[in-house]
Amino acid sequence: MGTTHRKQLLSLSVNGEIYELAVECQETLLEVLRDRLGLTGTKEGCGTGECGSCTVLLDGEPILACLMLALDCENKEIETIEGLARGGRLTQIQESFLDKGGVQCGFCTPGMVMASTALLKRNPNPNREDVMESLEGHLCRCTGYNKIMESVLDAAKSCSEKG
Amino acid sequence: MYLPKFTLERPASSEEAATLLMVKENAGLVAGGTELFPRMKYGLSTPDVLVSLKGLRPSKPETTGEGILVLDANLSLTAVNESAEIRRSAPLLAMAAGKVATREIRNMGTLGGNLCQETRCLYYNQSHTFQFKAPCFKRGGTQCYFIPKGNKCWAVYMSDTSPALLCLDARMTLVGGKGEREIGVETLYTHDPLHPFSLTPYEIVTKVMIPQKQGPMGYGFAKFSIRGGLEFAAVNVAVLLEGEDDFSTCSRARIAVGAVSDSPQRALEVEALLNGSSLSDDLIHEASQKISRSLKIVPHHGYSKAFLAECLKSQTREALTDAAKMISDRK
Repeated sequence: MGTTHRKQLLSLSVNGEIYELAVECQETLLEVLRDRLGLTGTKEGCGTGECGSCTVLLDGEPILACLMLALDCENKEIETIEGLARGGRLTQIQESFLDKGGVQCGFCTPGMVMASTALLKRNPNPNREDVMESLEGHLCRCTGYNKIMESVLDAAKSCSEKG
Repeated sequence: MYLPKFTLERPASSEEAATLLMVKENAGLVAGGTELFPRMKYGLSTPDVLVSLKGLRPSKPETTGEGILVLDANLSLTAVNESAEIRRSAPLLAMAAGKVATREIRNMGTLGGNLCQETRCLYYNQSHTFQFKAPCFKRGGTQCYFIPKGNKCWAVYMSDTSPALLCLDARMTLVGGKGEREIGVETLYTHDPLHPFSLTPYEIVTKVMIPQKQGPMGYGFAKFSIRGGLEFAAVNVAVLLEGEDDFSTCSRARIAVGAVSDSPQRALEVEALLNGSSLSDDLIHEASQKISRSLKIVPHHGYSKAFLAECLKSQTREALTDAAKMISDRK
């Protein structure tokens, strides 16, 4: 007799909205976000925690959605790239990524933007080392790291100027 | 990439988790999952039941009346790195935890999980769909791809926190099997890459205890990897120096080296050289030159033994210089 793999009910809070789903134990947060909720902004790069493309915020801290079981996210607040812009207005970080050429092919961008969002919340005035440390786990195959670095520093500067 | 099917158990306590591990058939334990899930995705580990410690809320770090810092093994590495209590009482551990992988992984991975991570090998930690299909020792076979004529496994243990804990004389509490027991960090390891830990399959690390030291102290932690936090360490060194009241003589040195063999190693020869000596630049140079000689260095992940030995020298020099400066700055 094989084991019965029963689905479990899960109430997931993503970008302020509550979703009720039945998920299998082995489903990762990334699969649920992309395949069930259609939030395909979060990308799957390597699937093994090396590239950082799938970074989302869990209770405000960046984590890798590909290595997080969906069932472990119950009662936690998840933020994805889709939840950043409000009423069609991009956040300062997104604007800076556009202005400074931080977006190249765009595949790593959602992860980079989420990690930078968490960084600026933690530390509104980061220096180059702080940015480097927080984006350490993000691979960009277009290798445009300088532009990305400039974008994050520009966003921090613009935010502090606006007060 | 998808995880294979399993049933998830979410116990409410470590004791319950240990019982579940014992009663469920083919059960595995998961804490942060950052090391286990990639292996499961590659098909290297296929538990039918996963007992998850994610639901357990870790208690805050605290210092007991006897001056022992008690840490919950379920603390995330970010929490270990940022806790004011740990930074005050065991800054070496906070520093080492802050050097593990990347911020995302530190937010997910735990202290206990970092200590109990599997040994790694370039030929083992990957998908075996297209290459290296025949199983190696670690996958139950009888060959080693890394040293083809070898008759044993040469996988390497790459935890960053364990050399720091070795320097700090840490002890740990284990729950499960026959109840609770306490062991020193150095006895956690079996020195066999196939079965690296002396824990029984039902035992869980629940607490890490660090005794407090007196007098002027200096510490340093250096880690080398070509791609920074994106990969595991090629070599790491933790240094803890206890100084005398003149702020230049070292009364007791502790040096532990990780990621170059099946367990972290103490550099006893170099410790003896430093004990009782004045911490001059020449002494630090001599110590770092001697470090590779007395240790077992296994080439791994494309790094040759000679390269790792040279790396180890420069990393030791860096960590020792930091530690010595910290002592002299307290003047």
